[in-house]
Amino acid sequence: MPKNITIFTTNTCGYCVMVKKYLTAKGLGYEEVNLDQSPHRQAEALSLSGAMTVPVTVVTKNDDTREVIVGYNLARLAPAVA
Amino acid sequence: MDEAAVQDIPTHDVIMIGAGPAALSAAIYTTREDIETLLFERGVIGGLAAVTDKIDNYPGFPDGVEGLNLAQDLQKQAERFGAVIELGEVTAIEDEGEFKRLETTSGTMRARAVLIATGSDYKKIGVPGELELYGRGVHYCATCDGAFYRGKTLAVIGGGNSAVQEAMFLTRFTTHIDLVVRSTIKASDVLQQDLQKFVDDGKITIHLGTITDEIVGVDNAVDKVMATKDGQKVEFKVDGVFVFVGLSPNSQFLKDTPVELDEVGLVLSNEDLQTNLPGVFVAGDIRSGATMQVASAVGEGATAALKIREYLEGRAHPVQN
Ligand SMILES: Cc1cc2nc3c(=O)[nH]c(=O)nc-3n(C[C@H](O)[C@H](O)[C@H](O)COP(=O)(O)OP(=O)(O)OC[C@H]3O[C@@H](n4cnc5c(N)ncnc54)[C@H](O)[C@@H]3O)c2cc1C
Repeated sequence: MPKNITIFTTNTCGYCVMVKKYLTAKGLGYEEVNLDQSPHRQAEALSLSGAMTVPVTVVTKNDDTREVIVGYNLARLAPAVA
Repeated sequence: MDEAAVQDIPTHDVIMIGAGPAALSAAIYTTREDIETLLFERGVIGGLAAVTDKIDNYPGFPDGVEGLNLAQDLQKQAERFGAVIELGEVTAIEDEGEFKRLETTSGTMRARAVLIATGSDYKKIGVPGELELYGRGVHYCATCDGAFYRGKTLAVIGGGNSAVQEAMFLTRFTTHIDLVVRSTIKASDVLQQDLQKFVDDGKITIHLGTITDEIVGVDNAVDKVMATKDGQKVEFKVDGVFVFVGLSPNSQFLKDTPVELDEVGLVLSNEDLQTNLPGVFVAGDIRSGATMQVASAVGEGATAALKIREYLEGRAHPVQN
């Protein structure tokens, strides 16, 4: 189980809902950064992902290594949070 | 494969491929009839409706409905009656007579009946820079990526309903949008009237007869769009580009199967929404002849479900799980 998970989202993003649904189904908690409510954190999302898109999911493992998953990509998200 | 191995394959009454409006509506009907139903969804539950800002023409919502909310309500309703949605993809279908065999990201499965409701995905324009700058200035989903353009300028490419609707949505973030239209605006009259208000306010400028040639990037970000109008080169200095030039059918996984497709890759069916493979049905945007609307996708889903019930009643008893 990862140490923590942060998801950058917006109000209207359907793919963000899917990431949250997936994590909830797996019983995993996460911190959500909603860029509509916190636009000042947009640059952070961009620098982590290199892409102007959400969702951006940052998975911090127990050894403090980080994996950044751009978009709703189950093939990457599932092993990252396993 | 020997008999014992076949017995081990998970078997369902109905497998629906996709969980957009068509399949979710079909699932409400099948599950209410106690027909055990599994849906596979590789993207967003609710399909294209879930990534559309607002749906204004779906009956029963006098003020329109947010696509994401409609999608979530359709999901809740289908799940209330027992539909199960698996997050994953179906990659092949094989006909084994009474059963259809499906290859999926969760392994091999069998179903007595199958509903193809895979809809379509955004088409690319295919110009230099589009692929290279994807996600870093070139986008296809306004509700996902629009928020990155607060106080910035955009080009929206396309002139159909989606392009016009999404351009208007994007004005909530941007200072100005160049709407680059290859020929003329093809959007509905109502949308065109709404668009005119944004044009009058100086929020959107329409460029008709303008063919996009290239999206030029500098330092890994969009710098401008190069285009041709009346044989002359024109350019639009913008921070980002949203492309809405139509949709391409999600039927690649059917290419090597016996399921018949039309010349553009949409699935052919008879008046019962059944494909040429008995027991394999189709509904929604992926069906050849579909009208590509949420209301019609939902209607086709209901029709397909009732035809699936008839089909199953004419065959062996449903699976007991
Ligand atoms: C920008 C935009 C605005 C729109 N606005 C309106 C509007 O205002 N009013 C209106 O009525 N309609 C509108 N539409 C059209 C409407 O969204 C579609 O007609 C409707 O969503 C079609 O539903 P569907 O279930 O057939 O397909 P989709 O909604 O496309 O759903 C199909 C689902 O199948 C999934 N899928 C595909 N292949 C596979 C596979 N192999 N395995 C598993 N899953 C798979 C996809 O991920 C998708 O979620 C709009 C469309 C767009 C793009």
